[in-house]
Amino acid sequence: MLRTEINELLTQTGPGTPTGELFRRYWQPVLLAEELPDNDCPPVRVKILSERLVAIRDSDGNYGLMDEFCAHRGVSLWFGRNEQGGLRCPYHGWKYDYTGQAIEVPSEPETSNFCANVKLKSYPMVKRGDVLWAYLGDPAKQPPLPEWEAYTVPDGQAFTSKRLQECNWLQALEGGIDSSHVTFLHGGNLESDPLFQGSKGNEYNKGDLKPFFEVVDSEGGLLIGARRNAEEGHYYWRVTPWVLPNFTMVPPRGDHPVHGHFWVPIDDENCWAYSFDYHPTRELTGTEVAAMRAGKGVHSANDAAYRPIANKDNDYLMDREAQRRGETYSGIEGIALQDSSLQESMGPIVDRTKERLVATDAGIIKARQKLRKAALALQEGTEPVGNRPQDQKVRSVAIVLPADQSFVEGIGEAMIAKPGVPQTTV
Amino acid sequence: MAEQLSIPAGVSACAEATTAKEAAFRIDYPLAATRNTRVIALDPAAEEIVRRTASMEWGQARFYSVTDPGLTLVTTAGESVELADALDDSNTVVLVSVDGSNAEAVGTIGAACKVRGIMTAGLVVTPGALTSEALFHLRPHARILLVPAEEDDLVELLRATRA
Repeated sequence: MLRTEINELLTQTGPGTPTGELFRRYWQPVLLAEELPDNDCPPVRVKILSERLVAIRDSDGNYGLMDEFCAHRGVSLWFGRNEQGGLRCPYHGWKYDYTGQAIEVPSEPETSNFCANVKLKSYPMVKRGDVLWAYLGDPAKQPPLPEWEAYTVPDGQAFTSKRLQECNWLQALEGGIDSSHVTFLHGGNLESDPLFQGSKGNEYNKGDLKPFFEVVDSEGGLLIGARRNAEEGHYYWRVTPWVLPNFTMVPPRGDHPVHGHFWVPIDDENCWAYSFDYHPTRELTGTEVAAMRAGKGVHSANDAAYRPIANKDNDYLMDREAQRRGETYSGIEGIALQDSSLQESMGPIVDRTKERLVATDAGIIKARQKLRKAALALQEGTEPVGNRPQDQKVRSVAIVLPADQSFVEGIGEAMIAKPGVPQTTV
Repeated sequence: MAEQLSIPAGVSACAEATTAKEAAFRIDYPLAATRNTRVIALDPAAEEIVRRTASMEWGQARFYSVTDPGLTLVTTAGESVELADALDDSNTVVLVSVDGSNAEAVGTIGAACKVRGIMTAGLVVTPGALTSEALFHLRPHARILLVPAEEDDLVELLRATRA
Protein backbone atom coordinates (compact mmCIF):
# COMPACT_ATOMS: atom_id res chain seq x y z
CA MET A 1 0.00 0.00 0.00
CA LEU A 2 0.95 3.62 -0.44
CA ARG A 3 -0.19 6.56 1.60
CA THR A 4 -2.53 8.89 -0.29
CA GLU A 5 -0.02 11.73 -0.44
CA ILE A 6 2.67 9.50 -1.95
CA ASN A 7 0.21 8.06 -4.47
CA GLU A 8 -0.66 11.60 -5.50
CA LEU A 9 2.98 12.58 -5.65
CA LEU A 10 3.83 9.73 -8.02
CA THR A 11 0.76 9.90 -10.23
CA GLN A 12 0.49 13.66 -10.81
CA THR A 13 2.74 14.87 -13.63
CA GLY A 14 1.36 18.28 -14.54
CA PRO A 15 3.49 21.44 -14.47
CA GLY A 16 4.80 22.26 -11.01
CA THR A 17 4.19 18.83 -9.50
CA PRO A 18 7.26 17.00 -8.15
CA THR A 19 6.94 14.02 -10.47
CA GLY A 20 5.96 16.32 -13.34
CA GLU A 21 9.14 18.27 -12.82
CA LEU A 22 11.07 15.00 -12.71
CA PHE A 23 9.61 13.98 -16.09
CA ARG A 24 10.61 17.38 -17.43
CA ARG A 25 14.26 16.44 -17.03
CA TYR A 26 14.00 13.75 -19.74
CA TRP A 27 13.49 13.65 -23.47
CA GLN A 28 10.13 11.96 -23.92
CA PRO A 29 8.49 10.36 -26.95
CA VAL A 30 5.71 12.69 -28.06
CA LEU A 31 4.84 11.52 -31.58
CA LEU A 32 5.67 8.81 -34.05
CA ALA A 33 7.63 10.30 -36.92
CA GLU A 34 4.87 9.05 -39.25
CA GLU A 35 2.50 11.58 -37.67
CA LEU A 36 4.43 14.45 -39.24
CA PRO A 37 5.42 12.68 -42.45
CA ASP A 38 6.21 15.63 -44.75
CA ASN A 39 7.22 19.25 -44.73
CA ASP A 40 4.13 21.46 -44.38
CA CYS A 41 1.97 18.49 -43.42
CA PRO A 42 -1.08 19.14 -41.22
CA PRO A 43 -0.35 20.11 -37.59
CA VAL A 44 -0.95 17.51 -34.90
CA ARG A 45 -2.34 18.03 -31.43
CA VAL A 46 -0.06 16.79 -28.66
CA LYS A 47 -0.98 16.44 -25.02
CA ILE A 48 1.83 15.43 -22.72
CA LEU A 49 2.38 15.89 -19.00
CA SER A 50 -0.97 17.71 -18.87
CA GLU A 51 0.13 20.37 -21.37
CA ARG A 52 -1.79 20.95 -24.60
CA LEU A 53 0.53 21.57 -27.49
CA VAL A 54 0.56 21.51 -31.28
CA ALA A 55 3.34 19.99 -33.36
CA ILE A 56 4.39 20.98 -36.87
CA ARG A 57 6.98 20.18 -39.50
CA ASP A 58 7.64 23.37 -41.40
CA SER A 59 8.58 24.03 -45.01
CA ASP A 60 12.27 23.42 -44.27
CA GLY A 61 11.69 20.23 -42.29
CA ASN A 62 12.12 21.84 -38.86
CA TYR A 63 10.06 20.20 -36.14
CA GLY A 64 8.18 22.53 -33.79
CA LEU A 65 6.22 21.85 -30.62
CA MET A 66 4.38 24.80 -29.12
CA ASP A 67 1.37 25.97 -27.13
CA GLU A 68 -1.74 24.74 -28.92
CA PHE A 69 -3.56 28.05 -28.63
CA CYS A 70 -3.06 31.26 -30.57
CA ALA A 71 -1.73 34.13 -28.47
CA HIS A 72 -4.40 36.43 -29.89
CA ARG A 73 -7.79 34.98 -28.94
CA GLY A 74 -6.99 31.46 -27.81
CA VAL A 75 -8.00 29.62 -30.98
CA SER A 76 -6.61 26.10 -31.32
CA LEU A 77 -3.80 26.15 -33.82
CA TRP A 78 -4.71 22.62 -34.83
CA PHE A 79 -7.02 24.49 -37.22
CA GLY A 80 -3.99 26.40 -38.48
CA ARG A 81 -2.49 26.43 -41.95
CA ASN A 82 1.02 25.00 -41.95
CA GLU A 83 2.60 26.67 -44.96
CA GLN A 84 5.47 28.85 -46.12
CA GLY A 85 7.64 28.58 -43.05
CA GLY A 86 5.13 28.59 -40.24
CA LEU A 87 1.74 27.86 -38.76
CA ARG A 88 -0.93 30.47 -39.43
CA CYS A 89 -4.01 30.84 -37.26
CA PRO A 90 -7.00 30.80 -39.60
CA TYR A 91 -8.98 33.25 -37.43
CA HIS A 92 -7.02 36.48 -37.97
CA GLY A 93 -3.91 35.25 -39.75
CA TRP A 94 -1.35 35.40 -36.97
CA LYS A 95 1.60 33.25 -38.01
CA TYR A 96 4.22 31.46 -35.92
CA ASP A 97 7.50 29.83 -36.86
CA TYR A 98 8.56 26.41 -35.57
CA THR A 99 9.93 27.94 -32.36
CA GLY A 100 6.56 29.55 -31.56
CA GLN A 101 7.80 33.01 -32.46
CA ALA A 102 5.13 35.19 -34.05
CA ILE A 103 6.35 36.22 -37.49
CA GLU A 104 3.23 37.87 -38.90
CA VAL A 105 0.34 39.75 -37.33
CA PRO A 106 -1.59 41.04 -40.37
CA SER A 107 -3.63 43.59 -38.44
CA GLU A 108 -0.49 45.45 -37.36
CA PRO A 109 1.34 47.97 -39.58
CA GLU A 110 3.93 46.32 -41.79
CA THR A 111 6.77 48.06 -39.97
CA SER A 112 5.46 47.24 -36.50
CA ASN A 113 7.73 45.42 -34.05
CA PHE A 114 4.71 43.88 -32.33
CA CYS A 115 5.63 40.34 -33.45
CA ALA A 116 8.92 40.41 -31.65
CA ASN A 117 7.10 40.43 -28.34
CA VAL A 118 4.74 37.56 -29.12
CA LYS A 119 6.09 34.07 -28.67
CA LEU A 120 4.18 30.94 -27.83
CA LYS A 121 5.75 28.70 -25.26
CA SER A 122 7.58 26.01 -27.18
CA TYR A 123 9.83 23.04 -26.60
CA PRO A 124 12.63 21.43 -28.60
CA MET A 125 11.53 18.39 -30.56
CA VAL A 126 13.88 16.10 -32.48
CA LYS A 127 13.62 12.94 -34.55
CA ARG A 128 15.53 9.91 -33.34
CA GLY A 129 14.73 6.68 -35.15
CA ASP A 130 11.01 6.56 -35.93
CA VAL A 131 10.00 8.70 -32.95
CA LEU A 132 9.85 12.45 -32.25
CA TRP A 133 11.18 13.35 -28.81
CA ALA A 134 10.56 16.51 -26.84
CA TYR A 135 12.14 18.08 -23.81
CA LEU A 136 9.72 20.10 -21.69
CA GLY A 137 12.07 21.18 -18.92
CA ASP A 138 14.43 23.96 -18.00
CA PRO A 139 16.54 24.70 -21.11
CA ALA A 140 19.60 25.10 -18.92
CA LYS A 141 19.19 21.52 -17.71
CA GLN A 142 18.54 19.92 -21.10
CA PRO A 143 20.20 16.49 -21.19
CA PRO A 144 21.95 14.98 -24.22
CA LEU A 145 19.71 13.58 -26.94
CA PRO A 146 18.23 10.15 -26.23
CA GLU A 147 20.64 7.28 -26.82
CA TRP A 148 18.32 4.28 -26.44
CA GLU A 149 19.59 1.52 -28.68
CA ALA A 150 16.25 1.08 -30.44
CA TYR A 151 16.63 4.63 -31.75
CA THR A 152 20.27 4.50 -32.75
CA VAL A 153 20.34 1.26 -34.77
CA PRO A 154 20.40 1.61 -38.58
CA ASP A 155 17.14 2.19 -40.44
CA GLY A 156 15.12 -0.97 -40.92
CA GLN A 157 16.22 -2.56 -37.65
CA ALA A 158 13.55 -0.99 -35.44
CA PHE A 159 9.80 -0.48 -35.28
CA THR A 160 7.77 1.61 -32.83
CA SER A 161 4.03 1.72 -32.27
CA LYS A 162 2.01 3.84 -29.90
CA ARG A 163 -1.16 2.98 -28.09
CA LEU A 164 -3.52 4.99 -25.95
CA GLN A 165 -3.88 3.59 -22.47
CA GLU A 166 -6.74 5.06 -20.50
CA CYS A 167 -5.27 5.11 -17.02
CA ASN A 168 -2.50 6.82 -15.09
CA TRP A 169 1.02 6.23 -16.35
CA LEU A 170 2.19 4.56 -13.13
CA GLN A 171 -0.31 1.73 -13.45
CA ALA A 172 1.09 0.99 -16.88
CA LEU A 173 4.72 1.27 -15.80
CA GLU A 174 4.20 -1.03 -12.86
CA GLY A 175 2.91 -3.67 -15.24
CA GLY A 176 6.18 -3.39 -17.11
CA ILE A 177 8.17 -3.95 -13.95
CA ASP A 178 6.03 -6.73 -12.57
CA SER A 179 7.46 -9.93 -14.04
CA SER A 180 5.36 -12.23 -11.91
CA HIS A 181 2.15 -11.71 -13.91
CA VAL A 182 3.62 -13.04 -17.15
CA THR A 183 3.16 -16.71 -16.32
CA PHE A 184 -0.54 -16.19 -15.75
CA LEU A 185 -1.78 -13.44 -17.97
CA HIS A 186 0.44 -14.02 -21.00
CA GLY A 187 1.18 -17.72 -20.55
CA GLY A 188 -1.01 -18.69 -23.48
CA ASN A 189 0.85 -16.42 -25.89
CA LEU A 190 4.41 -17.67 -25.61
CA GLU A 191 3.97 -20.32 -28.27
CA SER A 192 1.17 -18.75 -30.28
CA ASP A 193 2.57 -15.25 -30.81
CA PRO A 194 4.89 -15.13 -33.83
CA LEU A 195 7.19 -12.67 -32.05
CA PHE A 196 7.71 -14.97 -29.04
CA GLN A 197 7.29 -18.53 -30.23
CA GLY A 198 9.95 -21.18 -30.64
CA SER A 199 12.58 -20.13 -28.13
CA LYS A 200 14.29 -22.42 -25.66
CA GLY A 201 13.48 -19.83 -22.99
CA ASN A 202 9.78 -20.59 -23.43
CA GLU A 203 10.43 -24.15 -22.26
CA TYR A 204 12.13 -22.89 -19.11
CA ASN A 205 9.24 -20.50 -18.55
CA LYS A 206 6.69 -23.27 -18.79
CA GLY A 207 8.79 -25.69 -16.79
CA ASP A 208 9.02 -23.49 -13.71
CA LEU A 209 5.92 -21.51 -12.88
CA LYS A 210 7.21 -20.11 -9.60
CA PRO A 211 10.24 -17.99 -10.36
CA PHE A 212 12.50 -16.42 -7.77
CA PHE A 213 13.28 -12.73 -8.12
CA GLU A 214 16.28 -10.53 -7.47
CA VAL A 215 15.83 -6.77 -7.59
CA VAL A 216 19.17 -5.12 -8.15
CA ASP A 217 19.78 -1.42 -7.77
CA SER A 218 21.42 0.03 -10.87
CA GLU A 219 22.71 3.47 -11.62
CA GLY A 220 19.82 4.40 -13.89
CA GLY A 221 17.07 2.51 -12.09
CA LEU A 222 16.66 -1.19 -11.41
CA LEU A 223 17.48 -4.57 -12.88
CA ILE A 224 14.80 -7.12 -12.10
CA GLY A 225 16.02 -10.67 -12.50
CA ALA A 226 13.54 -13.54 -12.65
CA ARG A 227 15.18 -16.89 -12.06
CA ARG A 228 13.82 -20.25 -13.11
CA ASN A 229 15.26 -23.72 -13.00
CA ALA A 230 17.16 -24.77 -16.11
CA GLU A 231 19.38 -27.83 -16.58
CA GLU A 232 20.90 -29.38 -13.45
CA GLY A 233 22.97 -26.82 -11.56
CA HIS A 234 21.84 -23.93 -13.75
CA TYR A 235 19.26 -21.18 -13.66
CA TYR A 236 17.47 -19.46 -16.53
CA TRP A 237 17.50 -15.71 -15.88
CA ARG A 238 15.27 -13.10 -17.48
CA VAL A 239 16.53 -9.63 -16.65
CA THR A 240 14.28 -6.60 -17.09
CA PRO A 241 15.82 -3.14 -16.85
CA TRP A 242 13.81 -0.19 -15.64
CA VAL A 243 15.37 3.22 -16.25
CA LEU A 244 13.89 6.28 -14.59
CA PRO A 245 11.30 7.42 -14.97
CA ASN A 246 9.32 5.41 -17.51
CA PHE A 247 11.42 3.03 -19.62
CA THR A 248 11.24 -0.75 -19.40
CA MET A 249 12.50 -3.55 -21.63
CA VAL A 250 11.30 -7.11 -21.96
CA PRO A 251 13.93 -9.87 -21.93
CA PRO A 252 14.44 -11.36 -25.41
CA ARG A 253 13.35 -14.75 -26.68
CA GLY A 254 15.48 -16.59 -29.21
CA ASP A 255 16.47 -14.45 -32.18
CA HIS A 256 13.23 -12.51 -32.10
CA PRO A 257 13.54 -8.72 -31.99
CA VAL A 258 13.94 -7.22 -28.53
CA HIS A 259 11.14 -5.08 -27.20
CA GLY A 260 10.26 -2.52 -24.59
CA HIS A 261 8.14 0.46 -23.70
CA PHE A 262 8.01 4.06 -22.67
CA TRP A 263 4.95 4.92 -20.58
CA VAL A 264 4.35 8.59 -21.28
CA PRO A 265 1.80 10.57 -19.25
CA ILE A 266 -0.76 12.41 -21.37
CA ASP A 267 -2.50 13.72 -18.29
CA ASP A 268 -3.07 12.11 -14.91
CA GLU A 269 -5.71 9.73 -16.25
CA ASN A 270 -4.26 8.69 -19.60
CA CYS A 271 -0.91 7.72 -21.02
CA TRP A 272 0.71 6.63 -24.25
CA ALA A 273 2.48 3.31 -24.44
CA TYR A 274 5.30 3.74 -26.95
CA SER A 275 6.26 0.15 -27.68
CA PHE A 276 9.33 -0.72 -29.70
CA ASP A 277 10.96 -3.74 -31.25
CA TYR A 278 14.47 -3.76 -32.65
CA HIS A 279 17.23 -6.13 -33.53
CA PRO A 280 20.81 -5.06 -32.78
CA THR A 281 22.39 -6.81 -35.74
CA ARG A 282 19.89 -7.27 -38.56
CA GLU A 283 16.96 -5.66 -40.29
CA LEU A 284 13.51 -6.67 -39.17
CA THR A 285 11.91 -9.02 -41.65
CA GLY A 286 8.76 -8.16 -43.54
CA THR A 287 6.97 -10.89 -41.65
CA GLU A 288 8.05 -9.46 -38.30
CA VAL A 289 6.99 -5.92 -39.17
CA ALA A 290 3.67 -7.20 -40.51
CA ALA A 291 3.10 -9.02 -37.21
CA MET A 292 3.92 -5.87 -35.24
CA ARG A 293 1.56 -3.79 -37.35
CA ALA A 294 -1.12 -6.42 -36.80
CA GLY A 295 -0.80 -6.05 -33.02
CA LYS A 296 1.33 -9.06 -32.19
CA GLY A 297 4.09 -9.12 -29.61
CA VAL A 298 3.99 -6.01 -27.44
CA HIS A 299 2.00 -4.02 -30.01
CA SER A 300 -1.72 -3.58 -30.57
CA ALA A 301 -4.05 -3.15 -33.52
CA ASN A 302 -5.19 0.46 -33.36
CA ASP A 303 -7.51 2.91 -35.05
CA ALA A 304 -6.23 6.02 -36.81
CA ALA A 305 -6.00 7.88 -33.50
CA TYR A 306 -3.82 5.11 -32.00
CA ARG A 307 -6.58 3.90 -29.73
CA PRO A 308 -6.69 0.10 -29.65
CA ILE A 309 -9.50 -1.38 -31.67
CA ALA A 310 -10.23 -3.56 -28.64
CA ASN A 311 -10.89 -0.99 -25.95
CA LYS A 312 -13.11 -0.36 -22.97
CA ASP A 313 -16.00 0.77 -25.17
CA ASN A 314 -16.32 -2.75 -26.59
CA ASP A 315 -15.21 -4.63 -23.46
CA TYR A 316 -11.86 -5.24 -25.16
CA LEU A 317 -13.62 -7.75 -27.43
CA MET A 318 -13.70 -10.17 -24.53
CA ASP A 319 -13.89 -13.73 -25.87
CA ARG A 320 -14.98 -16.13 -23.13
CA GLU A 321 -14.92 -19.05 -25.54
CA ALA A 322 -11.24 -18.48 -26.39
CA GLN A 323 -10.62 -18.25 -22.67
CA ARG A 324 -12.39 -21.56 -22.11
CA ARG A 325 -10.43 -23.18 -24.90
CA GLY A 326 -7.20 -22.02 -23.25
CA GLU A 327 -6.15 -19.81 -26.14
CA THR A 328 -6.02 -16.78 -23.87
CA TYR A 329 -5.89 -16.68 -20.11
CA SER A 330 -8.06 -13.60 -19.59
CA GLY A 331 -10.23 -13.84 -22.69
CA ILE A 332 -8.51 -10.80 -24.20
CA GLU A 333 -6.46 -11.22 -27.35
CA GLY A 334 -2.90 -9.89 -27.49
CA ILE A 335 -0.31 -9.21 -24.83
CA ALA A 336 -0.62 -5.41 -24.92
CA LEU A 337 -4.38 -5.49 -24.49
CA GLN A 338 -4.21 -8.22 -21.88
CA ASP A 339 -2.17 -5.77 -19.81
CA SER A 340 -4.00 -2.56 -20.56
CA SER A 341 -7.48 -4.04 -20.08
CA LEU A 342 -6.60 -5.02 -16.53
CA GLN A 343 -4.66 -1.85 -15.76
CA GLU A 344 -7.54 0.30 -17.02
CA SER A 345 -9.98 -1.77 -14.96
CA MET A 346 -8.29 -0.43 -11.82
CA GLY A 347 -9.78 2.99 -12.65
CA PRO A 348 -8.11 6.15 -13.95
CA ILE A 349 -5.86 6.44 -10.89
CA VAL A 350 -5.88 3.38 -8.68
CA ASP A 351 -6.23 3.97 -4.95
CA ARG A 352 -3.02 2.40 -3.70
CA THR A 353 -4.04 2.79 -0.08
CA LYS A 354 -6.23 -0.27 -0.68
CA GLU A 355 -3.52 -2.54 -2.08
CA ARG A 356 -2.32 -5.76 -0.51
CA LEU A 357 1.14 -6.08 -1.95
CA VAL A 358 3.17 -9.21 -1.39
CA ALA A 359 6.90 -9.76 -1.12
CA THR A 360 7.20 -10.60 -4.81
CA ASP A 361 6.04 -7.05 -5.55
CA ALA A 362 9.40 -5.82 -4.25
CA GLY A 363 10.37 -4.53 -7.71
CA ILE A 364 7.32 -2.27 -7.76
CA ILE A 365 7.94 -1.20 -4.16
CA LYS A 366 11.55 -0.34 -4.93
CA ALA A 367 10.69 1.52 -8.15
CA ARG A 368 8.14 3.67 -6.33
CA GLN A 369 10.71 4.42 -3.67
CA LYS A 370 13.29 5.45 -6.26
CA LEU A 371 10.80 7.61 -8.14
CA ARG A 372 9.71 9.35 -4.95
CA LYS A 373 13.28 9.95 -3.85
CA ALA A 374 14.26 11.27 -7.28
CA ALA A 375 11.27 13.64 -7.42
CA LEU A 376 11.92 14.97 -3.92
CA ALA A 377 15.67 15.20 -4.47
CA LEU A 378 15.10 17.25 -7.62
CA GLN A 379 13.15 19.73 -5.53
CA GLU A 380 16.27 20.04 -3.40
CA GLY A 381 18.44 20.57 -6.46
CA THR A 382 19.78 17.07 -7.09
CA GLU A 383 19.55 16.21 -10.77
CA PRO A 384 18.05 12.80 -11.59
CA VAL A 385 19.63 9.80 -13.31
CA GLY A 386 18.30 8.02 -16.36
CA ASN A 387 18.76 10.94 -18.74
CA ARG A 388 22.44 10.35 -19.38
CA PRO A 389 23.64 8.33 -22.39
CA GLN A 390 25.34 5.78 -20.13
CA ASP A 391 22.00 5.06 -18.41
CA GLN A 392 20.27 4.57 -21.74
CA LYS A 393 22.72 2.18 -23.38
CA VAL A 394 20.99 -0.72 -21.70
CA ARG A 395 19.59 -4.04 -22.85
CA SER A 396 17.36 -6.70 -21.42
CA VAL A 397 18.94 -10.14 -21.18
CA ALA A 398 17.89 -13.78 -21.15
CA ILE A 399 20.65 -16.16 -20.13
CA VAL A 400 21.40 -19.52 -18.49
CA LEU A 401 23.97 -19.27 -15.70
CA PRO A 402 25.50 -21.64 -13.15
CA ALA A 403 23.41 -21.69 -10.00
CA ASP A 404 26.21 -20.28 -7.88
CA GLN A 405 26.75 -17.23 -10.03
CA SER A 406 25.35 -13.76 -9.41
CA PHE A 407 23.24 -12.78 -12.39
CA VAL A 408 24.83 -9.36 -12.45
CA GLU A 409 28.28 -10.94 -12.66
CA GLY A 410 27.10 -13.60 -15.07
CA ILE A 411 25.60 -11.26 -17.62
CA GLY A 412 28.68 -9.05 -17.51
CA GLU A 413 28.44 -6.49 -20.29
CA ALA A 414 25.48 -8.17 -21.93
CA MET A 415 23.27 -5.47 -20.40
CA ILE A 416 25.22 -2.77 -22.20
CA ALA A 417 24.08 -1.87 -25.70
CA LYS A 418 26.93 -2.03 -28.17
CA PRO A 419 26.50 -1.34 -31.89
CA GLY A 420 26.62 -4.50 -33.97
CA VAL A 421 26.82 -6.85 -31.00
CA PRO A 422 23.99 -9.41 -30.80
CA GLN A 423 21.65 -9.46 -27.84
CA THR A 424 22.16 -12.11 -25.16
CA THR A 425 19.18 -14.38 -25.44
CA VAL A 426 17.90 -17.92 -24.98
CA MET B 1 -8.21 -9.48 -35.75
CA ALA B 2 -11.49 -8.08 -34.46
CA GLU B 3 -13.60 -10.26 -36.77
CA GLN B 4 -12.32 -13.42 -35.12
CA LEU B 5 -13.54 -12.47 -31.70
CA SER B 6 -16.92 -12.46 -30.08
CA ILE B 7 -19.11 -9.41 -30.38
CA PRO B 8 -19.76 -7.68 -27.06
CA ALA B 9 -23.36 -7.29 -26.04
CA GLY B 10 -24.85 -3.82 -25.81
CA VAL B 11 -23.39 -0.92 -23.90
CA SER B 12 -19.92 -1.68 -22.63
CA ALA B 13 -19.66 -2.46 -18.96
CA CYS B 14 -15.96 -1.62 -18.93
CA ALA B 15 -16.38 1.91 -20.27
CA GLU B 16 -18.80 2.70 -17.47
CA ALA B 17 -17.01 0.78 -14.76
CA THR B 18 -13.60 2.38 -15.25
CA THR B 19 -14.61 6.01 -14.78
CA ALA B 20 -13.46 8.05 -11.78
CA LYS B 21 -17.13 8.53 -10.94
CA GLU B 22 -17.67 4.79 -10.66
CA ALA B 23 -14.47 4.39 -8.63
CA ALA B 24 -16.18 6.37 -5.89
CA PHE B 25 -18.63 3.50 -5.44
CA ARG B 26 -16.01 0.94 -4.59
CA ILE B 27 -16.95 -0.33 -1.19
CA ASP B 28 -14.80 0.83 1.65
CA TYR B 29 -14.03 -1.37 4.61
CA PRO B 30 -11.06 -1.99 6.89
CA LEU B 31 -8.62 -4.52 5.51
CA ALA B 32 -7.67 -7.31 7.84
CA ALA B 33 -3.96 -7.48 8.56
CA THR B 34 -3.20 -10.67 6.69
CA ARG B 35 0.53 -10.19 6.62
CA ASN B 36 2.06 -11.77 9.67
CA THR B 37 5.70 -10.99 9.11
CA ARG B 38 8.82 -12.05 10.95
CA VAL B 39 11.94 -9.97 10.34
CA ILE B 40 15.17 -11.73 11.23
CA ALA B 41 18.60 -10.10 11.41
CA LEU B 42 21.42 -12.45 10.46
CA ASP B 43 24.38 -10.54 11.88
CA PRO B 44 25.11 -7.72 14.34
CA ALA B 45 25.04 -4.98 11.71
CA ALA B 46 21.74 -6.27 10.40
CA GLU B 47 20.48 -6.39 13.98
CA GLU B 48 21.03 -2.64 14.27
CA ILE B 49 18.93 -2.06 11.17
CA VAL B 50 16.21 -4.38 12.38
CA ARG B 51 16.21 -2.84 15.84
CA ARG B 52 15.76 0.67 14.42
CA THR B 53 12.95 -0.56 12.18
CA ALA B 54 11.30 -2.39 15.06
CA SER B 55 11.02 0.84 16.99
CA MET B 56 8.45 2.10 14.44
CA GLU B 57 4.78 1.31 14.59
CA TRP B 58 3.79 -1.98 12.96
CA GLY B 59 0.81 -4.28 12.80
CA GLN B 60 1.66 -7.89 13.42
CA ALA B 61 5.32 -7.77 12.43
CA ARG B 62 7.82 -9.12 14.94
CA PHE B 63 11.56 -8.64 14.93
CA TYR B 64 14.39 -11.00 15.82
CA SER B 65 18.06 -11.76 15.48
CA VAL B 66 19.66 -15.15 15.03
CA THR B 67 23.00 -16.94 15.09
CA ASP B 68 24.01 -20.40 13.87
CA PRO B 69 22.53 -22.95 13.83
CA GLY B 70 19.35 -20.91 13.76
CA LEU B 71 16.98 -22.98 15.84
CA THR B 72 16.49 -20.18 18.34
CA LEU B 73 15.66 -16.54 17.65
CA VAL B 74 16.19 -13.60 19.97
CA THR B 75 13.66 -10.79 20.20
CA THR B 76 14.69 -7.15 20.31
CA ALA B 77 13.92 -7.33 24.06
CA GLY B 78 16.49 -10.10 24.44
CA GLU B 79 14.10 -13.00 24.92
CA SER B 80 14.82 -16.33 23.26
CA VAL B 81 12.12 -17.89 21.11
CA GLU B 82 12.17 -21.24 19.37
CA LEU B 83 12.22 -20.79 15.60
CA ALA B 84 9.27 -23.14 15.22
CA ASP B 85 7.22 -21.08 17.66
CA ALA B 86 8.11 -17.80 16.00
CA LEU B 87 7.02 -19.16 12.63
CA ASP B 88 3.90 -20.75 13.98
CA ASP B 89 1.39 -18.20 12.70
CA SER B 90 3.60 -16.37 10.23
CA ASN B 91 3.17 -16.13 6.45
CA THR B 92 6.19 -13.99 5.55
CA VAL B 93 9.79 -13.99 6.72
CA VAL B 94 12.19 -11.21 5.82
CA LEU B 95 15.87 -12.05 6.28
CA VAL B 96 18.32 -9.18 6.62
CA SER B 97 22.02 -9.74 6.08
CA VAL B 98 24.96 -7.34 5.97
CA ASP B 99 28.09 -9.45 6.18
CA GLY B 100 26.88 -12.90 5.19
CA SER B 101 27.57 -14.60 8.51
CA ASN B 102 25.40 -17.28 10.08
CA ALA B 103 24.88 -19.11 6.83
CA GLU B 104 23.73 -22.22 8.67
CA ALA B 105 20.94 -20.24 10.30
CA VAL B 106 19.81 -19.05 6.87
CA GLY B 107 19.53 -22.66 5.77
CA THR B 108 17.66 -23.65 8.91
CA ILE B 109 15.17 -20.81 8.59
CA GLY B 110 14.80 -21.30 4.84
CA ALA B 111 14.03 -25.00 5.28
CA ALA B 112 11.55 -24.29 8.06
CA CYS B 113 9.78 -21.71 5.91
CA LYS B 114 9.66 -24.05 2.94
CA VAL B 115 7.88 -26.84 4.80
CA ARG B 116 5.42 -24.35 6.27
CA GLY B 117 4.71 -22.57 2.97
CA ILE B 118 6.00 -19.26 4.29
CA MET B 119 7.03 -16.59 1.78
CA THR B 120 10.65 -15.57 2.19
CA ALA B 121 12.30 -12.31 1.21
CA GLY B 122 15.90 -11.28 1.68
CA LEU B 123 17.59 -7.91 2.00
CA VAL B 124 21.28 -7.93 1.19
CA VAL B 125 22.42 -4.67 2.77
CA THR B 126 25.78 -4.31 1.10
CA PRO B 127 25.89 -0.75 -0.23
CA GLY B 128 27.78 -0.58 -3.49
CA ALA B 129 28.40 -4.34 -3.69
CA LEU B 130 26.35 -6.39 -6.12
CA THR B 131 27.81 -9.72 -5.10
CA SER B 132 28.59 -10.88 -1.61
CA GLU B 133 28.59 -13.85 0.70
CA ALA B 134 25.28 -12.60 2.00
CA LEU B 135 23.75 -12.84 -1.46
CA PHE B 136 24.89 -16.42 -2.03
CA HIS B 137 23.72 -17.56 1.38
CA LEU B 138 20.30 -16.01 1.00
CA ARG B 139 19.67 -16.84 -2.65
CA PRO B 140 18.57 -20.47 -2.26
CA HIS B 141 16.11 -19.56 0.46
CA ALA B 142 14.64 -16.16 -0.44
CA ARG B 143 11.97 -16.09 -3.10
CA ILE B 144 12.77 -12.42 -3.61
CA LEU B 145 16.01 -10.61 -2.91
CA LEU B 146 16.83 -6.91 -2.86
CA VAL B 147 20.45 -6.36 -3.86
CA PRO B 148 22.05 -4.22 -2.62
CA ALA B 149 19.34 -3.09 -0.27
CA GLU B 150 19.35 0.12 1.69
CA GLU B 151 18.22 0.35 5.26
CA ASP B 152 14.98 2.08 4.33
CA ASP B 153 14.13 -0.72 1.90
CA LEU B 154 13.14 -2.75 4.92
CA VAL B 155 10.76 -0.05 6.10
CA GLU B 156 9.34 0.37 2.60
CA LEU B 157 8.83 -3.37 2.14
CA LEU B 158 7.10 -3.75 5.48
CA ARG B 159 4.88 -0.71 4.96
CA ALA B 160 3.96 -1.71 1.43
CA THR B 161 2.98 -5.20 2.56
CA ARG B 162 1.02 -3.93 5.56
CA ALA B 163 3.28 -5.62 8.09
